Amino acid sequence: MTTPSGFTRHGDNSFEAAFAQSEREVLINLAEQLIEILAERIDDVHSDPLAAMVGITGHDSPPDDDVLLRLLPNAYADPVDSAEFRRFTESVLRDKKRAHAMAIRSHLLNSEDSLVRINRDSAGAWLGAMNDIRLALGVRLKVEENSHDQLELLAPDDPMRGVYAVYTWLGWLQESLLHALMDDSEE
Amino acid sequence: MVRTAEKVEDLVDPTFLVDRPWVTIVWDDPVNLMTYVTYVLMTLFDYSKERANELMLKVHNEGKAVVSSGRREEMERDVQRLHEFGLWATLQRDDQ
Repeated sequence: MTTPSGFTRHGDNSFEAAFAQSEREVLINLAEQLIEILAERIDDVHSDPLAAMVGITGHDSPPDDDVLLRLLPNAYADPVDSAEFRRFTESVLRDKKRAHAMAIRSHLLNSEDSLVRINRDSAGAWLGAMNDIRLALGVRLKVEENSHDQLELLAPDDPMRGVYAVYTWLGWLQESLLHALMDDSEE
Repeated sequence: MVRTAEKVEDLVDPTFLVDRPWVTIVWDDPVNLMTYVTYVLMTLFDYSKERANELMLKVHNEGKAVVSSGRREEMERDVQRLHEFGLWATLQRDDQ
């Protein structure tokens, strides 16, 4: 039985984190939600396999959903340039984000005793996916308008209270991996 | 006989020869951790920890910072990579 901890470095290229069973389940669930929400943009409009192969999604308008818009943002202030860029790049971006989420899901599912061990290469997927989940939760929590003090004071029966707890926990987990990675680079 | 235009501006966009570079801008975001922004800038652009940290603080304090500049295609690639890691980035022609 391991005590839950954030990421710590072991040797040159190994980073470990121990999860409580509930934490592991929450994170797997959130990774799956991320995979699912990104899949909403995989469009059925495009039946042309060649266009699909070179990454032309057909999507040139930004997503209506605020979460998807934050995950797949506009690259230009100008809507015409932005649409053109999106048409050629969105599917690639979406696939990369889904790959990050799938990687952490698979690490968690395959972890023994909820102990996750990753190397520097997989750390990128972990950071990216944790960040995407936090971005998505942040949109739902409206962190833009609500201060952290306001969010700390959510009523016990407010469903957003649990969301906020997960959001701060993930921030702590992400920070632990960043410290483990960056301390290393200073040596 | 070739008739010359009275004004060169009528024929050529006066900015045509000025090769202003394109820039990638990272915008402040209430979710992204400061350490994370520094780490992403170090990793994607090979910036030193000091340079990346300086740019992160500029984003944090001033709301935005230019993190790279160059040809349009290069900036599009930079924006795409920043989006991959969840930073809020756009590109535009350098307005300096």
